Amino acid sequence: MLLLTVVLVLLLIASAAFAAARRWKRRVGAPRRVVLTGGGTGGHVNPALAIAEGIKARDPQTRFLYIGVKNKAETVIVNKAGYPLRYVFSEGYPGIRPSFRTLCFLWKLSLGIVQSIVILIGFAPRWIVATGGYVSAPVIMAAVLLKKLGIADVKIFLHEQNSIPGQLNAFMGKWADKVLLTFPQTLSFFPNAAVVGYPIRHSIVPIAVEEAEKRLSFTIPEGREILFVFGGSQGARTINRAIVDALPYLFANSHRLFIIHGSGLASSSSYNAARDTEERIQKVLSDEQKRSLGDFYYRQDYFHNIAEIYSISSLIVCRSGAGSLNEISRIGKPVLLVPKVNLPGDHQVMNARAMRNAGAAEILFEDTVMESGGLIECLDGQVLAEKILSLIEDRPRLREMAEKSRDFLRREAIERIVSEIFGEKRFADGNGRVAPFRDLVGNARLLQLLSAARARFGSAFDPALVVEDPDDLAYYRHRAAGLLSRKNWQDRNLGVKLIGLTQYREKIPTLLQMLSDRTPVGVVKRIFGGDFEQVGFIRRNIVEALMGLDRFDPEVEKHILLAMEDPYFEVRARACRAVAHFGDLLAGKTLCVDRLLGHLRDLCFEVVIEAAQALGEVGTDWKAAMALLSMRESHYWQVRNAALLGIKRMLERGVLDPSGELFAQISSFILTSTDFRPHFQIKETYTAILKCAEDIRAGACKPPASLNQVARKIK
Amino acid sequence: MIYELCKFLVPYSESFSFFRLVNYITFRAIMSALTAVIFIFIFSRRFILFVHERCFLEQIRETGVKTAFDKRGTPTMGGVLIIGAVLLSMALWGDWRNPFLLCSVAGMLWFGLLGLFDDLSKVRLKSGDKGLSERAKLLLQGLFGLIFALVCVGPYAPLGSALATKVCVPFYKFPLGDIGPLLYGVFIFLFVVFVSNAVNITDGLDGLAITPSIFVVVVLGVFAYVEGNRIYSAYLHYPNLRGAGELMIFGAAFVGAGLGFLWYNAYPAQIFMGDTGSLAIGGTMAVMSVLLKQEFLFPLLGGLFIAEALSSQIQDKIGVKWIGRRIFFRAPLHHNLQHKGIAETKVVIRLWIVAGLLALISLATLKLR
Repeated sequence: MLLLTVVLVLLLIASAAFAAARRWKRRVGAPRRVVLTGGGTGGHVNPALAIAEGIKARDPQTRFLYIGVKNKAETVIVNKAGYPLRYVFSEGYPGIRPSFRTLCFLWKLSLGIVQSIVILIGFAPRWIVATGGYVSAPVIMAAVLLKKLGIADVKIFLHEQNSIPGQLNAFMGKWADKVLLTFPQTLSFFPNAAVVGYPIRHSIVPIAVEEAEKRLSFTIPEGREILFVFGGSQGARTINRAIVDALPYLFANSHRLFIIHGSGLASSSSYNAARDTEERIQKVLSDEQKRSLGDFYYRQDYFHNIAEIYSISSLIVCRSGAGSLNEISRIGKPVLLVPKVNLPGDHQVMNARAMRNAGAAEILFEDTVMESGGLIECLDGQVLAEKILSLIEDRPRLREMAEKSRDFLRREAIERIVSEIFGEKRFADGNGRVAPFRDLVGNARLLQLLSAARARFGSAFDPALVVEDPDDLAYYRHRAAGLLSRKNWQDRNLGVKLIGLTQYREKIPTLLQMLSDRTPVGVVKRIFGGDFEQVGFIRRNIVEALMGLDRFDPEVEKHILLAMEDPYFEVRARACRAVAHFGDLLAGKTLCVDRLLGHLRDLCFEVVIEAAQALGEVGTDWKAAMALLSMRESHYWQVRNAALLGIKRMLERGVLDPSGELFAQISSFILTSTDFRPHFQIKETYTAILKCAEDIRAGACKPPASLNQVARKIK
Repeated sequence: MIYELCKFLVPYSESFSFFRLVNYITFRAIMSALTAVIFIFIFSRRFILFVHERCFLEQIRETGVKTAFDKRGTPTMGGVLIIGAVLLSMALWGDWRNPFLLCSVAGMLWFGLLGLFDDLSKVRLKSGDKGLSERAKLLLQGLFGLIFALVCVGPYAPLGSALATKVCVPFYKFPLGDIGPLLYGVFIFLFVVFVSNAVNITDGLDGLAITPSIFVVVVLGVFAYVEGNRIYSAYLHYPNLRGAGELMIFGAAFVGAGLGFLWYNAYPAQIFMGDTGSLAIGGTMAVMSVLLKQEFLFPLLGGLFIAEALSSQIQDKIGVKWIGRRIFFRAPLHHNLQHKGIAETKVVIRLWIVAGLLALISLATLKLR
């Protein structure tokens, strides 16, 4: 049955194709037809429309057809712009791992391809302009198929807005006749590319300040520095909350500041931008502040004529999507960027970095903090306020940034694109190859590099040895912090390890909170030995990280003592080791010593070993020594060894007198062992040779005089 | 070959009557064991040199145990020697028309080749953790399990189809019941895959895998002798499996090869068996116990292997990957013992003792029923 259907569909397509091919040939003389595709978000649709405007300006006869996915951004925007719109099926690429979602993806993709074939044959376009997003995938694949079959004569242009292409775009770039890029850094991804810049709608143009102020629906008092804060059309929770949190710190400057806040259209159940922002204002500000708020703060969900607002602003705070950056650059304003982290390819970070390197922007990374039991991304209001004030006060710097911002945009992007599409050589392609961004490494690889360095350098370890660029390090730290709020514990565990290894000391309170978090896991896992939501490995690695972070305060002390009572043996053992690590600071504290004495009777020998050694670091009296001596007949030789090590350490620290009684006690230790360390002479000789060779190469030991020299001396 | 030759010569002349000895299974068993040992003694030095020259050396692997020295650079793939010795001595002393022998040799070869492939790719990729992917390995092991299960429940079963799907448990005289070809086939499939992997996991310390395998094969050999012998099987109330005695000869060759290998593999090892050896041994033991209807005895007989496999799987799949904590200090079992401060040699000898005791108890089930 299925087979029959497939055969029928194929036959249908084939016959339609032959009919179409004939029609296609007849149409050569007719007006140009162009298929536009791309969407999902406004960031993909607007460039497509801007390119359409450009083509239309050159050849008003051109007919357009937009292919999109139903109920996405294109439904609204394209209809408003007045282009005919057709829908196909498509879905976001779920990643390489086989799962049910992959199956869904493949099914929808193949459906979409069949639909696109039908549409393309009917419309017979000369060009296809795709602007990325998963919508363009079936259309491009269908076009490539038709081209390969010799049915269609169509050219495919793919525009990539971001500095790092998405997976689908990177894949489809191979099929396109030309890939048009926004950032020169992206050249390394595509062999057949030209750097053209970002096509911006005609409506975004600089407007004189007086003119713009006249058009505003609200009034701004004289002589204010205007700050425009927005998080894209949907709004960004981080930015909305951060600016409200920053208000109390900005009140002192309310006479010379005016804040315009575009909070965004988001109104889903998870986040309602307008309501959340209002609630936040009610919560954060005092009553008096609320009364006078209107004097220097204005909020609106969405600004339809955003160019006016851009034009009057002195500084803009926003996310670093390619669209926003290029619009701001078109107007030429300085900008403070808050990139969204943990996106595919970290493209917002890369975009932000491109603009910062051009000297037009400053970057603030969002942070991950505990709030009402959960971890969320946020930006500290005070940090934001301070950054804003320092920028506003530094007028020469703002002016310089504005100039650089104007240069950042590749001008005439639309003209360049149109000339590429029409196959002209009006613009030299040689925009100069720019070295691609140094790749940021993934979290797993970062962990590998850092732990290798840690093993090598020991206590002299510093993450700067691995990550040379301080900006990279800052970003890695924020990314690690972002992992702490993930749902599956493997990610959180990775985050904990990375925070320890990147030495992100500001996150110690979060780690401590996770360590003392006692939310139980589900029943099934508890049956198999699980305990808390923050699983054993996470707690163990937190204690480990605390040692690596090497910062001690009463809060850390409290949590280490808490970890010593943990149900999981590895956490107890690590906590004892942490006590030894902070030995100087904990020495003689009764509570700590008592806990350690208790752990000498722990059921798990690993804990006993660590406790005995820690006791050597913090024990100060004869009682601790007696406890160690009482382990002389322990079953495990490692425990006896640890007790002896503890006593040795106490002697070294001078808290124990080397009296005769002590040595009488020590001599009664059982000294037999079930383990030994063999040494293989031949292997030792071999390593000695290797080491000798390395020393000679390093110049540490002088090579013997060569025979010639000896001979000369004899003469 | 010698077996066929003697059989061929005996009727011709009275002076060849001496060769009738080959009709005695015990004689052939002893001869095949000796052949295997001598083969190993002759060839292993050359083989070790050959492996060393080709750089088929053990690759480093992260086990989490602080060993006193690393075992990198020890020649591996010693399993080739074991398989070679067994094949040669079976070629000389075996009766190749016997279905029991064919099944066992097929199992050994399949798993041996699989392991060889894995070893070679490990060497090529210079990593002890890579090699064949876990999935590919399981798939190929499963494929043999499937074919073997089909043979066992099919019309050409060496056991005879009446007995094939019956469940026989130790310490009980009569079959518990017939579970049907489908269920039994699935069981065999899982059993073969599990046992071969269990030996692979056990093979972590010098001499740890080979000696317990010798114990297991000796016991299985005794069972084969009893079940193949009409008088003994009647006396001990076992089903009489015609031709099962051939498995004793196979077992003897195996024991001989194992002893020869242990000569070089004993601590500190000059050669490792590698996956070639461990998978082949596991496959052989699994096939032998299924053919002798002792598959339910195996958890007791090869209890050491089972414990090693279970501890490793529980630690990895339940503990580390799922609930996020260690359940044992370290896994598998022998690493746990090492972690507790017992030297490698001591761990190995203690586990030999355990395996030997388990073998003795299993042997007792011959009569204790």
